[in-house]
Amino acid sequence: MAQILVRSIVRPEKAHEVIEALLEAGYPAVTRVSVAGRGRQQGLQVGEVTYDELPKEMLMTVIPEGEKDLVLRTVMGSARTGESGNYGDGKIFVSPVEQVYTISSGFLEE
Amino acid sequence: MMKEVMAVIRMNMMNKTKVALSEAGFTSFTATGRVLGRGKGLVDYRVIKGAEEGRPEALAQLGEGPRMIAKRIITLVVPEEKTKLAVDTIIGVNQTGMPGDGKVFVLPVLDSTRIRTGESGAKVL
Repeated sequence: MAQILVRSIVRPEKAHEVIEALLEAGYPAVTRVSVAGRGRQQGLQVGEVTYDELPKEMLMTVIPEGEKDLVLRTVMGSARTGESGNYGDGKIFVSPVEQVYTISSGFLEE
Repeated sequence: MMKEVMAVIRMNMMNKTKVALSEAGFTSFTATGRVLGRGKGLVDYRVIKGAEEGRPEALAQLGEGPRMIAKRIITLVVPEEKTKLAVDTIIGVNQTGMPGDGKVFVLPVLDSTRIRTGESGAKVL
């Protein structure tokens, strides 16, 4: 089955929770990158000062396409703050992956 | 068409990989600093070894989930016909045969543009 790359940009304080939730849902393989960025609200405005490079964590995981909904539900459920979510909770991007190789064996994963 | 080759590799393999890639003709790539990741392996072999030796700090870690381990990511965009060569180069230099060597992903790229001149397409690679 085709594989997809799920890149979730989440709050740094939520990253651990999301990683644990993914493990419980059966997705142990995750890569985490510290990033900075702004979203649709153009960063945070506090008085005169604008913060437009807010720290976030990007979690990357490659999964079979058919399991997309479960993974998205898991990430959204654990990364959202409060009942209905807040600005700054982050985004999830999904892209196709054409081939996956495991370096230790050199095999092309099916 | 172009492809993005994204490889998650061991921290200490970066220099070897850089040399191998430039020898294979891939001069341009982008690398991240330290990223944290875990793979399918639910076992950290150092912990197992420590537990066999009866070290209390290793025994305390048994039963927890997999640890996040430091890796680096290199990303290169290559013409489609060179994808195989790039993947083989990376695998060849990074393979130790032990779990934790990393993964290589191949993703489609729709377009690339050279910022200096604004020209786009496969010729900018």
